[in-house]
Amino acid sequence: MRTTPIRWQSSLLLVLVLWTALPISVLVISSIGSGWFYPHLVPTSWSTAAWSELVSDRRLSRSLLTSLWLASLTGGIASIVGFEIGRRVSRTPVPLRYFALAAAFLPVAAPPLALGIGLQYFVLRAGLGGTLTGVWLAHSAVAIGYTTLYFIGVFAVFDRRVEEEARSLGASPLATLARVTLPLHRRQLAEALLLGFLVSWAQVPLTLLIGQGAVESLATSVMSYVHAGQDHLASVAGLLLALPGLVLMGVVGSSIRRFAVATV
Amino acid sequence: MTVDKHSTVGLILPALIALPPLIGLGYAVTASLGLVGVAPGGSTSRYLREVIANHTTWAALGWTLWITIASTFLATLAAVFLAATFRAESKADRFGRIVAVLPLPVPHVVAALSSLLILGQSGLLARVAHSAGIISTPAQMPPLVYDRLGVGLIFALVWKEIPFLALIAFTVLKNRGGMLEETARSLGANGIHTFFYATWPVLWRGMLPGIVAVATFVAGSYETAALLAPSRPLALPLLTMERYTATAMDLRPGAFVLAGFTLLLSLAAVAAYGATIGRTDRLQ
Amino acid sequence: MKRAGIAISSCFALLVSACNSDRPEIVDRAAIARLPWENVVRLARGSAVTWRMWRGDPSINAYIDHWVVPRLARDYGISLRAVEGQGPEIVNQLVVEREARARGVADLVWINGETFHNLRKAGLLWGPWAGRLPNAAALDSTSPIVMRDFEQPLDGWESPWGRVQFAFIYDTVRTRDPPHSFAELKVWIKKHPGRFTHDQQFTGVAFQTALMYSLSGGAGKFEGGFRPALYKAASARVFGWLEDVLPDFWRAGRDYPLGVAEMHRLFANNEIDFTMSYNQNEVVTKIRQGVLPPTAHALVVTDGTLANAHYVGIPFNAPNPPGAMVVANFLLSPEAQYEKLRAEVWGDGTVLDVAKLTSEWRSRFESLRMDSHAVPPAELTRHAVPEAAPEYRERLADDWKRLVRDRAR
Repeated sequence: MRTTPIRWQSSLLLVLVLWTALPISVLVISSIGSGWFYPHLVPTSWSTAAWSELVSDRRLSRSLLTSLWLASLTGGIASIVGFEIGRRVSRTPVPLRYFALAAAFLPVAAPPLALGIGLQYFVLRAGLGGTLTGVWLAHSAVAIGYTTLYFIGVFAVFDRRVEEEARSLGASPLATLARVTLPLHRRQLAEALLLGFLVSWAQVPLTLLIGQGAVESLATSVMSYVHAGQDHLASVAGLLLALPGLVLMGVVGSSIRRFAVATV
Repeated sequence: MTVDKHSTVGLILPALIALPPLIGLGYAVTASLGLVGVAPGGSTSRYLREVIANHTTWAALGWTLWITIASTFLATLAAVFLAATFRAESKADRFGRIVAVLPLPVPHVVAALSSLLILGQSGLLARVAHSAGIISTPAQMPPLVYDRLGVGLIFALVWKEIPFLALIAFTVLKNRGGMLEETARSLGANGIHTFFYATWPVLWRGMLPGIVAVATFVAGSYETAALLAPSRPLALPLLTMERYTATAMDLRPGAFVLAGFTLLLSLAAVAAYGATIGRTDRLQ
Repeated sequence: MKRAGIAISSCFALLVSACNSDRPEIVDRAAIARLPWENVVRLARGSAVTWRMWRGDPSINAYIDHWVVPRLARDYGISLRAVEGQGPEIVNQLVVEREARARGVADLVWINGETFHNLRKAGLLWGPWAGRLPNAAALDSTSPIVMRDFEQPLDGWESPWGRVQFAFIYDTVRTRDPPHSFAELKVWIKKHPGRFTHDQQFTGVAFQTALMYSLSGGAGKFEGGFRPALYKAASARVFGWLEDVLPDFWRAGRDYPLGVAEMHRLFANNEIDFTMSYNQNEVVTKIRQGVLPPTAHALVVTDGTLANAHYVGIPFNAPNPPGAMVVANFLLSPEAQYEKLRAEVWGDGTVLDVAKLTSEWRSRFESLRMDSHAVPPAELTRHAVPEAAPEYRERLADDWKRLVRDRAR
């Protein structure tokens, strides 16, 4: 363990803070400045017009609500399914576990654009094209991969003896699950919910392909605003998009490290 | 008996998750061969040949490969550097680790938007240069977005991927770095030597699955390319989308060729990921 | 586990049914075509209409969301929902839906020109229906710009909505003496290298089309359908003109902004001195939105500025054709056309013949003042030229990409 601090640590820290804060700060300024043209370093005038669009522009508020709803549903299903699969996989012998990991990694690795192109036909045939349900299913197909990887990692270090004790005391498998395993993993379930939420929240290509414009999320609205040259509105949408993740990460905090367990 | 039942269920369930991408791959392949799709005329290799013969395809592949290698390399380098610098438990170290991981939950599209505002030819950087007297018109600023090298795109991707790799690096070092390093130090190795012979090998192997994951994400990222990449050479995701939404019907099957190819590559990535996981675990 | 499974599947089923319950029953479309108008209105009452349109302009969105939608709900009991979708996406989605034999999503689509051409060619529109609209009686039926969509007869397959004119936008402070013809423009470009370009999409092709008219002796030469020989000669002149000025284009013609929004950004940030728009009034709304600087002004080139109209169509698989027809009819009402024409709202030209309206409406339309940043209407109409057959534009767009943009430098 290093006992003396590295010489350049403080300057690196400063650079790091600037590097991290700059992109977000630029969005903040762009969202409350009006007419921010070259060569002005700061906007010539300030206005909250772009933010009040949030209230008046039905498009922005609707896409925000759609995203909230979609992401919550996705987080919900993904955390439940991922939990269950992770739990089951942890009971398989170790060599087979690699297969499970690889299988769970496939929806994570598959680029959403190619995935959407390959699956759009089936979504349409099921009558789910342009529906919230269709987009939710598409998002969940990807999010479940993430949460499964996460829970495989969680259950790999889970000490099963607690469960075994409950069983030996006469509890049924279901009771053990409900009264022992689930409560012990409350925090992990919350983290998985957050993980699934973020996967859906940030998703763009799947929403575009499956939603076909009828389902507009906050993320796709950022793209549309940029393509339409509405930088101020794009910045508002972008900040709204970045906010929940940052806030929730602050809440979940130091246990973020466990997200990395999913891939290590 | 019980082991078998658990194995079966424990294998079927993950296989179910892998099903959507596999079905997508299957459909893309059959559409590429003309068996399904807008103008199915039976099995044909016409679409495959057209895509392979088209030079835009190769330009797209090459350019996306460049972006993937550059972004992954830079992000890995930065993550390793951060992990080596902020290893201890002092306030500064802990603060550094938190700040490094902060951009993790920010969506790619937001990072791309910021990159656009900062690195655009009349963006923040250009205005700073103007204030410093280095340039007087935006045209004197070298193009950093929609440019041949993809600088703005690489910036956005690196900004997004460093937290992910840094987090892995921090965890690896915390869990596994200690012992080997202490041994090295007790044998008299100095800082740099310890790093290269004790820290780096452990770090590298621990990060490998994450690096594979990052490379895969970067290569397939659509929204960042849509906001920052040039129209020539066209990035692979953009080329795929352009062909998929083409009004000329005979161009559409080419999109399935490209999508199928992309999905096959992700299968390869999964295999690579599985292999690296194996190596990492063996280290324990 | 089983209990969880049951709970999950019932939630799922609820969700699916909830999402599908707001779709109206699919009516026999052929029968609707024969219904008297009152029946159509009655059928449409209480239904939902989904309208795929470009949603990139907050001013247009405000007009639709805050003016059109409430009135449709109040007067006709229709709940209108506008969703994002532009020409090529619309065509693509309809093709994919037909291929998958899926239920349609859009009832109404905002289209014109090439999109109309592609949709009709592929049989993706429902019709004819537009002649049945009561408000269509007030249309400016003598105007070739309104009654022919890029030279294509409407035949009732789409209903006119508005009309616009192509204009340049420049900065009155930066450019004190703007060019007023293509010849003057060429001189200007050479004198100011790196300060002019055009985009790769719709508006850029419009620029090239206008250039083509100007270099080949006027738009009149291109009437009467697509003629390959004429196109070959005319396009050669266009590309020759471009090749001549290309070294003095922005980025020496090696890169081009993707769309008109990117061009506006370049213009606002002082990278180029001209931008373009298919709506001569856009400069007003864009100044208000803070996208363009307050010193921007519209400019009309004397060689002829393209005028065209835009329309609404009904897809072949629209779930709610009666609702769509009622919406289209409302859009043609004098109130809706007047509100749309106001510079503070949108500034989109009307497709109605003001002479056919009541005297009250006539005076209201005529007394509507245009904004000072825009071009006076009289000057606009003096230089307006209609669009030629869509094949000219399609070929120009493709050939430009191939011969000018993609040529290795």
